[in-house]
Amino acid sequence: MAINTIQKGLRLSRRTLLMAGTVMGLNMMVPFSMAASDEVLQSRSYVDITSLDPANYLNAVDEDVMGAIYSKLIYFKPGNKWEWELQAAESIEQVDATHIKFKLKEGIQFSNGFGEMTAQDVKFSFERAAFGENPAAAADWGGALEEVEVTGKYTGVIVLKKPYQPLWNLALSYAAGNIISQKAYESVGEFTNSPPASSGPYIVKEWRPKQKVILERNPDYYGEPSAYKEIHINQIDDEKTAEIAFESGNLDVTRISMSSVQSYRETPPDNSQLQVFPSLFYVWLGINFENPKLQDPRVRQAIQYAVDVPSILQASYFGEAEASTGIIAPGLLGHRAQSLIAPEADIAKAKALLAEAGVSNLELSLDVLNKATNVTTAQIIQALLSQIGIKVNINQHEAGSFWTLGSEKAGERWKDIELILNRYSMVPDPYYATVNFITSQKGKWNWERFSNEEFDQLNEQAQAELDLEKRGAMYQRMQDLMEQSGSYRFITHEAEPLAIRDNVSAGLRPDGRPLYRHFKPAN
Amino acid sequence: MNQLTQTGDKQTPEATQPLNENSTLKVLLDTLRRLTRQPLGLLGLILVCSVIFSALFAGVIAPYDPVALDILNRLQPPSAEHWLGTDQLGRDTFSRVLYGGQIALQVALSSIALALGFGLILGLLAGFGPRWLDNIILTLFDVVRSFPTIIFALAVVTLTGPSIGTIVLVVVVTSIPIYGRVVRTQTQALAQQEFILAERAMNASMPRILFRHMLPNVIGQLLILASMDIPIVITIEAGLSFLGLGIQPPTPSWGSIINDGYSFIRNTPWPIIAGGLPLIITTLGFTFLGESLRDIFDPKLRKDV
Repeated sequence: MAINTIQKGLRLSRRTLLMAGTVMGLNMMVPFSMAASDEVLQSRSYVDITSLDPANYLNAVDEDVMGAIYSKLIYFKPGNKWEWELQAAESIEQVDATHIKFKLKEGIQFSNGFGEMTAQDVKFSFERAAFGENPAAAADWGGALEEVEVTGKYTGVIVLKKPYQPLWNLALSYAAGNIISQKAYESVGEFTNSPPASSGPYIVKEWRPKQKVILERNPDYYGEPSAYKEIHINQIDDEKTAEIAFESGNLDVTRISMSSVQSYRETPPDNSQLQVFPSLFYVWLGINFENPKLQDPRVRQAIQYAVDVPSILQASYFGEAEASTGIIAPGLLGHRAQSLIAPEADIAKAKALLAEAGVSNLELSLDVLNKATNVTTAQIIQALLSQIGIKVNINQHEAGSFWTLGSEKAGERWKDIELILNRYSMVPDPYYATVNFITSQKGKWNWERFSNEEFDQLNEQAQAELDLEKRGAMYQRMQDLMEQSGSYRFITHEAEPLAIRDNVSAGLRPDGRPLYRHFKPAN
Repeated sequence: MNQLTQTGDKQTPEATQPLNENSTLKVLLDTLRRLTRQPLGLLGLILVCSVIFSALFAGVIAPYDPVALDILNRLQPPSAEHWLGTDQLGRDTFSRVLYGGQIALQVALSSIALALGFGLILGLLAGFGPRWLDNIILTLFDVVRSFPTIIFALAVVTLTGPSIGTIVLVVVVTSIPIYGRVVRTQTQALAQQEFILAERAMNASMPRILFRHMLPNVIGQLLILASMDIPIVITIEAGLSFLGLGIQPPTPSWGSIINDGYSFIRNTPWPIIAGGLPLIITTLGFTFLGESLRDIFDPKLRKDV
């Protein structure tokens, strides 16, 4: 009725009305198809942010955003080398093993009128993260912080209880090193995902849970204004969906799946390029150290020898990833040139070990996250282990279920873990990886329930070792111990394939993770 | 007219007498004859028979072991060796589709049979029993139906772990109220019929009334409903397997074949086509068959009544 009236009033025929509707519909699509503008950058994250409070962050995407809205004393440089540069600090100097002097740049303003950044804000932020209850932030500081002494408006001294080498590549330069305004924090009392004050080139304009985070240019930023007016970080869990979004022009930058690397390399979508970065992720087959079926080390070793890593790399990673030698990636301190057990399977040896252990008709479960790559890998492991007479039942889990499997706080399921295909992320300090496998991490992140006194001692000593060569050797020895325990079959560090629009100059860490403040339109 | 299809309005005590072998055969042949007269019914029958046949004889028809890996020949297009190509692990997709049919029918038939059995009993009790029992059973039905099937399945799978048993359990629990409600309504209508009142007047026992008189009058409608539910259950199983929460690898399921296909769609479209096609065929087949059977058995829809 209403439409008829409109038609009559405007003298529109049905056909004209349909055409007008079509044109209007197409017009509405234009903003999406023109996402790649000089004003707005459309990016993608695989998971939603959890907390933009540096003392309570949980995942890497939290740091992607925090890195754009806050400032740290030092910060990873974009490029293909792991190096840091001064950010909020005008200078920083290690006076001795436990004292680090710093001086802030003058004039760094917090947004919303919360004033200038001072050494007191540094003290407040670092002590809050290091002494707080969030295990992630506290672990970044490794229990090493004694206090931050404020010696002037802009100067202070970081005082450590013990020498702590991960300070530079972890505590100061990663999530727990972000500096927030004490005044702003105390004005709100509680941190939400709309921070009360920012000091970075961007501020959070809007957070739509499970959809996107929108950053906008910070008008109070002390440095050069941000290159983009807005950055939209769209949460798209599924890589195939992200690829479709990229190809249709809705995204300017995204990680793509390993199975798509070849086709992107041969025929990249219009106005885009593929860049593949060496990833810091590490993937391994975990073998429960304490499970009654797996307590004989020969059984665990048999499983290690039966898993053919090249087959997994070929089928699951399309030959685009290399075999790993441990948990520390190439290029990082502590990386091993080779593993103790060759990546290729040795079925005869695996069978001999099982026979020696007197084990037959073994049936094991293999828990795996329900992602295509993981499930494919699990099926290859299943087929490989069947060759030595081990029957493997694969249990796929969705993310919520999988990531609480080994947690003692989340019930009793940790007791049922036998084999588990796992994948952890990493920052460029080896401590970040090894700390997950110390004895006190059993029931937290050490799902294999591996326990070794020498490993624990080395982990403690390596944190404090100032001689880099010695420190590297310690981490290599720790990976030897992990492998010798029979609880780990190291698989790969994967790779980080990114599709990037030609009109975007992406500021990325050497492992391909975004440093949003360094993104700008390409000339 | 066969006795099983009579509605309460036309029902007589004689109508509930057990059928002898000759009359059963006659009913079956008559049904088949009517079914083949309808184009959609005939198509449905052919499709359903094809699916059942291929699933039953998958072991004979399948040219390869459905779980045998051949990584060097992965993601191959259809060829003389592999009629539907190979998946990401080099497994023969045609063989996996055939074996996937076994799983689909196994889950669908067993869960619907169980749901139908429990739904029948609870529906009869609710419809013919005391008011308080009716209220309790209806409340239980409402509680169960308030959970969307997939969400309920996700919760159960998270608690108990994925398996065929879990899928069957989920389908049975969520389907019982559907059958139960139909039986209850039918039973309440039949309870006011003269032949039932006559039985009660003669002090017939409740089991006799329920199973000798009520049951034959509601079972026909229930079977039609069940045949139309089979594709729904197959879709639920495929959906859970697609999400990785149903049949676990390497056992083939149409849902997991589609999921594999989706993950590698840029490399080859064949696995997703191969997994989707049998779902379409089965859904159409059972729907056509169910609708045609309904047309044949429901006197209100029959043109010759």
